[in-house]
Amino acid sequence: MSADYKGRNIRPLRVVFQLGAFAFFIGQLLGLPPFGTEPVLRRVFLPNAACRYMNTAPTSCFYYQLQDSLAHGASDLFASALIMLLVVILLVLVLGRTWCSWLCPFGFVQELFSDLRELVGIPFLRMGFASRVLLRRVKYAILILTVLITVPLGISALGLAGCTGALSLPFCQVCPAKGFFTIFQQILGLEPWSTRLPLLAWASLLIFLGTNVFMRMPFCRICPMGGLMALFAGGSMIYLKKDPDRCTKCRICLRVCPMDHDRVYEEMGRIDVGGEDCTLCARCVEMCPEEGCLSLAAGPFVLVTSRPPKKVGLGRIFQRIRGNDR
Amino acid sequence: MKKEDRPARYIKERKGYFSEAQVDRTKKESKKMSQRIRKEMSSKKVRAKAMSYFDDVMEYGGPRVAELEKFKKGGGKVVGTMCVMVPSELTYAAGARSIRLCSGYYECVHPANELLGDAGLCPMVKSTLGSEMVGANPITDLVDLVVTPATCDGKMKLAEILEDWVDVHIMNLPRVKTGDTTSKTWLAEIEFLKSRLEALTGRSIGKKDIIEQIELYNSAQEVYRDLLEHRKGRRVSITGQDAMLVAQASQMDDVRRWTKKVRELVLELDMMEREGRFVGEEGGARILLAGSPMIYPNFKIPSIVEDSGGTIITDELCTGIRLMSDPIVLESRTMRGVMEAIAEKYFYPCSCPCFTPNDERINRIKMSIKAFGAEGVVFHSLRGCHLNNLEATKIELELKSAGIPMLKLESEYDEGDVEQVRTRVEAFVEMLRARR
Ligand code: SF4
Ligand code: SF4
Ligand code: SF4
Ligand code: SF4
Repeated sequence: MSADYKGRNIRPLRVVFQLGAFAFFIGQLLGLPPFGTEPVLRRVFLPNAACRYMNTAPTSCFYYQLQDSLAHGASDLFASALIMLLVVILLVLVLGRTWCSWLCPFGFVQELFSDLRELVGIPFLRMGFASRVLLRRVKYAILILTVLITVPLGISALGLAGCTGALSLPFCQVCPAKGFFTIFQQILGLEPWSTRLPLLAWASLLIFLGTNVFMRMPFCRICPMGGLMALFAGGSMIYLKKDPDRCTKCRICLRVCPMDHDRVYEEMGRIDVGGEDCTLCARCVEMCPEEGCLSLAAGPFVLVTSRPPKKVGLGRIFQRIRGNDR
Repeated sequence: MKKEDRPARYIKERKGYFSEAQVDRTKKESKKMSQRIRKEMSSKKVRAKAMSYFDDVMEYGGPRVAELEKFKKGGGKVVGTMCVMVPSELTYAAGARSIRLCSGYYECVHPANELLGDAGLCPMVKSTLGSEMVGANPITDLVDLVVTPATCDGKMKLAEILEDWVDVHIMNLPRVKTGDTTSKTWLAEIEFLKSRLEALTGRSIGKKDIIEQIELYNSAQEVYRDLLEHRKGRRVSITGQDAMLVAQASQMDDVRRWTKKVRELVLELDMMEREGRFVGEEGGARILLAGSPMIYPNFKIPSIVEDSGGTIITDELCTGIRLMSDPIVLESRTMRGVMEAIAEKYFYPCSCPCFTPNDERINRIKMSIKAFGAEGVVFHSLRGCHLNNLEATKIELELKSAGIPMLKLESEYDEGDVEQVRTRVEAFVEMLRARR
C-alpha cells in the first residue's frame, strides 16, 4: 500500500470555492434558469467574474466594465470608472488575491490544465529569473495600454467618443477567455454553433491552449486584472504570512508555486510575503515542511499554517501495525 | 575510465608504498579506537539498551560490514559517500547500498601525512585518505564507487587523490546558492549521478523506485524527529553523542531497519523518562554543538562536553541532526518533478559552510537554540578547516547580540589536546551555570 507524505491539505477546500464560483458565474451549470440577455445583476461586478461574453452570467467581468466606462467616461467625467475602481480596490484590500486562486473561473481552468498535464506526465517549463521578471511586467504593460487606448475615447474634447466598437474594448479583442467561454457555452449547448469568433479571438485562444501544455498558469502571469489587483494586494487583510525565523531556505515554496512568486522564498525581513504575483493559492503553505513557517492569515488570525509532512491515509495505519515495513 | 587503466596521479607504485608493519599498525590502532569508544559510550550509568544496535552498525569490522560483504558476494554494489549532499535515495533505487566513507580514525591520518606532507590539511580528509590507502578499515574494501560533491577544497582534492585507489564520481556543486544557474546546474548533476549509478548496477532507476525510497527516508526523518523531542525536556534521556551516533548510523544501515530500530529506541526513551531515568547531571548546562563534522569514532569534543557537566541537547552538524532533517516534498510527480525535488532537498536547505552567503546556518542555530532551550554554543572546527573557522567569527558575533555565549574550539585527530580542551569546556560550562 503506497502511503503519501503530506503537509496541510488546503486544495480540496479551495476547489469547493472554485467550483461554487464557477457554478455561480455560469449559473446554468446548476440548472438555474438563464438570467436573460440583460440580467439584473449584470451591473454587479467583482474583481474577476464571468466573462461578459458568457451570455447568461449573473455578473460581469470587471475588466470589461472598466474598459467600457473608461471609453465612455465623457458623460460623467470618469466618475463611474473611478467609483468602480475604488470598490474593487476595497475588495482587494480585504480579500487580497484570493479573488484569483479561490474564485476566478479562468484561473480555475488553468489549474485544471495543470492537473491534466501532471496526469499525462508532461513536465512544465521552468523559467529563468529574467523571463519570470519579464512576464511579470507584461501584465502591467497591458494594463497601461488598455488605459491609454480607452481614455482618449472617453475624452470628449478629442472628438473620438464616436469611435466605439472594437477599440473601446481593446483587451476583450485579445483576451483568451472570450474564445474559451464562447466555445465552452457552445459545447454546453447554451450558445448556437453559428456564433462565429473573430480571428483574433481564435488566435489568442489557441495560444492560450498551447501555452497551457507546457506552462503553469500562463495567462495569470500576464492577466491585466491580476496586475491591477497586484498593485493593491501588498497590504491586504488576507495575506500570506512568513515567519522568517523558521525558514530553512529549502526553496520548496518557490518550487511548488504555480506563479513562480520569488518573494515567498527570498523575503527574510517582511512578514507579508504575498502581493505581486502571489494569488494566495496556499500551495506553498501546504508544502512548506517547517512548522508554522508559512501561513494564510486574516489580519491577526492565522487561518492555516505549514507543518512537517506526515504519513496520511491507509499507509499511516499500516505503519502503526507493522513497524515501518510497508 | 576504470581505475586500473588510469595513470596514478599522486603515487606511482601503490603496492608496497606503505610497509606491512604500518598497515598492520593502522588497522590495529583503528580497531582499538573503535572498541575503546564503544566501551566508553556503553559504560554510561544510564543508557537505552536499544543503543547497542547502533553501536554494532558503526563498529569497526562489525556485523554491518559482514552483511555488506555478503551483499557484494551476491553481485551487489556499494557506493561510498563523503557528504550529506549525496542522495542515498538514488543509490538505493538503483539497487546499490550506500555507506559514509568519511573517517574518524586517528591513526589513519599518518599514512596521508606521509604521502602529502601537508600538516595543515583537515585531519578528517587525511584520515579518510589514509584509511583508503592502507585499507585500514574493512568498509573501504567494500566500496565500488565513491560519490562526492566538490564542497570544500580538502574534500575536492581528496576526491581527486582517491581516484588513484578507487573509482570516484565528483559532483560539480555550485557554491553560490543565490545564482540563477544554480538550481539548473545542480539538477543536471543529480541527473548525471543517476545515470552513473544506473551504469554501476546495470539497473535503470524508475520513478516508482525513487518515490518508494523517498518515502522510506521521509519516514526515517519522522521517527528521528520523535527522538529529537526527547532532547527538549528539562532532563533528557539520550546524550548528544548517542543521538549523533544514531544519525550517523542512518548512512551505514539499511534505512528501513534503521527506522524500525529508532522507533524502538524512542519507545524505550519514553519509558526511561516515565521511570525518571535521565542522562547527564541535574541542572547540566544545555549546549548546542556546531562546527566541523565529527565522524564516529572521533567523538572527542562531545564526550568532553558531556563529561564536564554539559548536556548536548541539539546540534548543527552535518554529522548530526542535518543528516535527518529536511524532508523531500514531492509536488509534481513527473520524473523531472521528482528529480527536482531530490536535487533541491540535497542542496538548498544544506547549511554547509562551503556555501556563501549561508545565512541559513545562523538562522538554523538560532532556531534550534529556541526550540531546544540551549544556553550556550560550542563551536568546534577541525584544524585546517578554514570555512568553519571563518564562519565561527560571523556566528559568534550574531550570537553575542542574541545574548548566547559561544565557545570556539579547535581540535586535531589525536588525544594530545584533550586536557586543554577540557579545561576550556569546564570553564565555559561553569560560566553558563553562573549566568542562570
Ligand atoms: S473577454 Fe476577457 S476582458 Fe473581456 S469580458 Fe471576457 S474575460 Fe473580461
Ligand atoms: S490572474 Fe487573472 S486569470 Fe488569473 S486568477 Fe487572477 S484574475 Fe483570474
Ligand atoms: S518552504 Fe518554508 S522553510 Fe522552505 S524556503 Fe519556503 S518558507 Fe522557507
Ligand atoms: S506564493 Fe504561495 S500562495 Fe502565493 S501563488 Fe505561490 S504558492 Fe500560491
